Amino acid sequence: MKPYVMILAMSLLTQMSWANDKYEQAMLKNIEAVYDAETPESIQQAVNTFERIGGAEKDKWEPFYYASFGYIMMSVREQDAMKKDGLLDKAQEVLKKASAINAQESEIVALEGFIYMMKVAVDPASRGQQYSGLAMQTFGKALGMNPENPRALAMMAQMELGTAQFFKSPIDKACATARGALEKFDSFQSSNPLAPRWGRHNAMMVVNQCK
Amino acid sequence: MKILLTVLGVIIGFEVAAQTLVKGKVLDEKGEAIPGANISIDGTYDGASSDINGEFSFQTSEEGEQTISASFVGYKTYTQSVKLSGALLQLSITLREEINQLDAVVISAGAFTAGEEKRRTILKAVDIASTAGATADIAGALNTLPGTQKVGESGRLFVRGGDGNETRTFIDGLMVLNAYNPTAPNTPSRGRFLPFMFKGTSFSTGGYSAEYGQALSSALVLNSKDKSELNQTDFGILSVGGDVAHTHAWDHASLAGKIQYTNIRPYFGLINQRMDWIKPPVSIEGSSAFRQETGESGIVKFYGNFNHTNYSLYQHDIAEPAQKFSFDLTNNYGYGNVAFLQALNEKWSARGGVSYNYNHNDLLIDGSPVDEIEKGLHAKTVFENTVSDRVELKFGLEHILVDYEASRVDSTLGRQVQQYQDPITSGFVEAELYASKKLVARTGVRGEYSQRLGDAFVDPRISVAYKPFQQGQFSFAYGRFRQTPQSIYVRAESNLRPETAEHFILNYQLVNDKRTFRTELYYKRYSDLVKFVNGNPNNLTNSGRGYAKGFEFFWRDNATFKNLDYWISYSYLDTERDYLDYPVASTPSFASTHNFSVVGKRYVSAIKSQLGVTYSVSSPRTYHNPNMEGFNNSRTPCYQDLSMNISYLPKPFLIIHASVTNVLGRDNVFGYEYSSTPDVNGIFAGRPIKLPATRFLFLGVFITLSKNKSINQLPNL
Repeated sequence: MKPYVMILAMSLLTQMSWANDKYEQAMLKNIEAVYDAETPESIQQAVNTFERIGGAEKDKWEPFYYASFGYIMMSVREQDAMKKDGLLDKAQEVLKKASAINAQESEIVALEGFIYMMKVAVDPASRGQQYSGLAMQTFGKALGMNPENPRALAMMAQMELGTAQFFKSPIDKACATARGALEKFDSFQSSNPLAPRWGRHNAMMVVNQCK
Repeated sequence: MKILLTVLGVIIGFEVAAQTLVKGKVLDEKGEAIPGANISIDGTYDGASSDINGEFSFQTSEEGEQTISASFVGYKTYTQSVKLSGALLQLSITLREEINQLDAVVISAGAFTAGEEKRRTILKAVDIASTAGATADIAGALNTLPGTQKVGESGRLFVRGGDGNETRTFIDGLMVLNAYNPTAPNTPSRGRFLPFMFKGTSFSTGGYSAEYGQALSSALVLNSKDKSELNQTDFGILSVGGDVAHTHAWDHASLAGKIQYTNIRPYFGLINQRMDWIKPPVSIEGSSAFRQETGESGIVKFYGNFNHTNYSLYQHDIAEPAQKFSFDLTNNYGYGNVAFLQALNEKWSARGGVSYNYNHNDLLIDGSPVDEIEKGLHAKTVFENTVSDRVELKFGLEHILVDYEASRVDSTLGRQVQQYQDPITSGFVEAELYASKKLVARTGVRGEYSQRLGDAFVDPRISVAYKPFQQGQFSFAYGRFRQTPQSIYVRAESNLRPETAEHFILNYQLVNDKRTFRTELYYKRYSDLVKFVNGNPNNLTNSGRGYAKGFEFFWRDNATFKNLDYWISYSYLDTERDYLDYPVASTPSFASTHNFSVVGKRYVSAIKSQLGVTYSVSSPRTYHNPNMEGFNNSRTPCYQDLSMNISYLPKPFLIIHASVTNVLGRDNVFGYEYSSTPDVNGIFAGRPIKLPATRFLFLGVFITLSKNKSINQLPNL
């Protein structure tokens, strides 16, 4: 009897790790595709794959997180304000699926803040007040969940820089936040091989403005 | 053991399963390729994106009955059951456009919508607050739009030849009575509801939905904000008082409260007023809002507002200015509503609520008391059904109860009371049908049963909109509208039927990100207006009639000049009515033929300030001069006003705001009033109707305290 149980157990384990490998491999391949994408079409392709993976892996938040991130990246490349908004709405809709799976993930909350920040950028005059406060609060919430989250800090630094420039006040605070973010990027470690890696550039953009 | 082997077999078999090739093409309804669509086998990784020609192909190791779906932003998700057997599967997929997309045709006849969220709205919520001359009053800002007539001494919304009472305010779909704060005679009143409370405003100058009743000319539909996300405390130090507000947000609920004290006495001490005040106005006002999210998509909103105002003054006789009598007003007002919104399932949702109004005017006219109490209750439930993405159905039931009582003490007759109750039960059904993304029709019918009259009324409402171009669209609207006459008439004659208006509107509108052009042509027919029999105000019938017709233009542009956002409105109005004491049909004194406004706003970063300018001109208004032949035989000079405001933002949490109306100091005359009896020479003495002060100056300092210092009160100004 015993050998069969062993065989079965081992077979199941291989099966599981195979399944996990399949998930990770598919994800990693497409995560690279989003980071390196040259065109909105290639982002759309990766986003589609994330959505398919998300539909199959009911307990994984990463596919919807990256699908949402992909839509945000598409909105960055879009010129038409209405289409930008449509893509950001889509990003928000997909991100809701991620937070339904894992409401305690700091990265998901930080990405939500990123969406608000991008919404401000579409129409700063009429949305600035509402969404910039909301974005800052959301970054704060993400940091509350994980003080080591460098992306939340990097985007917070961008918001602080924008506010300081608007009010023509010193940008010291934004610089400090951005430098803090860069430190966290250096020390950031996650046991999750699919953990987000983007955002250093956002912090660098702020730091480059500091003397 | 057999079982174990079977399990192993299944697991291994799964890995070596036969592959099926799935190929196909994704097209839209016109047969054009959709690139980037996501084709997938539900619950698996397998699938592909369509290429530039809409074509796709992928291999799958899945077998048997499976569901294939195809999706793309802006289209309805397509699903199909397939059987995978290893043989080539060829699919031809047509995606149907989702209609509720941002660029679809919308019904625009008569409607101006302002919202933060919706793109391509004509006004944003912040515009209402930042328009110069409006001093953060909703009606003040909307009075710069076409379809309104400047009636400077009133401050209310007079729409297309209708008087101020013909515009009805709704908050979250629930009716508001007495929507304006009480003011002294010939002083523009301000709305009781502050613009920052609302996320969306829809101001309709005609042809509105069957959902809105008891509004003859215009519906001002205000949608209150949802749950607050931020904790903050606001202080305002104003030249005429002060306010403090606090908002607290939880995960699924928020509570906000505000107390405002207004005392215009110190201001009147500085700025000379053409008014013989005994006690200038003092008011205390409070409001509170509570929001609770229910379930995944529901929300319950509570809102309450109270106001206590008092003032007294001397009114002087027109012929003998030395003769005066005192006029003292105390107004107590309360408004409360509970509104809910709940999705029942994917297709059905329900919304509704209850509102209660209480308005008490306690007057002392030359020492004798006059009392007026109006109470209103409105209960409403609306069900909405998304039959498909092309058919939207809504129906609802409402009950409105108005309870009115006025009393006065007469030296000979003692206490006299006039009262009435006006319960109205109504129902409506309305369907919105999209033939395509370019053509939509909305048809509805509203039925009202008046218990006071024992009679029922049925009114149709129809709108059609057609968008042949990418950005421009045409709309047409027709509807019949009714409203119970004003309480001062119903209290005298309880059998008065509702006044009726029919609207015909033709509209063309072009909206893109940066510019808006809009023009409207309309005709309005009034019937059943209140009429005095032989000029006797106590003998009233519904035999009055009238019409209004005209055209309007609106242009808004924030692209041509850098950092400058401006809009221009022009309205042409031709109206006459034969109602009340009019001996013949005539243009009423509140109507002006030409109304023109320009509003400009600019943020100047060098001085960290937002500047605003509003310039308005209205052509002469009629008035009746008893010293001349005929009726409404005279014309006032034209009206002009130049207003400016500035909001200075030295720090993210601090705003200093200043505004001034009528910078040029023009001495606007709105009409003349005459003594009721002629003097010894047979001449009726006259007096111009003017604002109590030529200009109004306002200064305020607003401080916001929150965890995050980048929030300020700018949207409130």
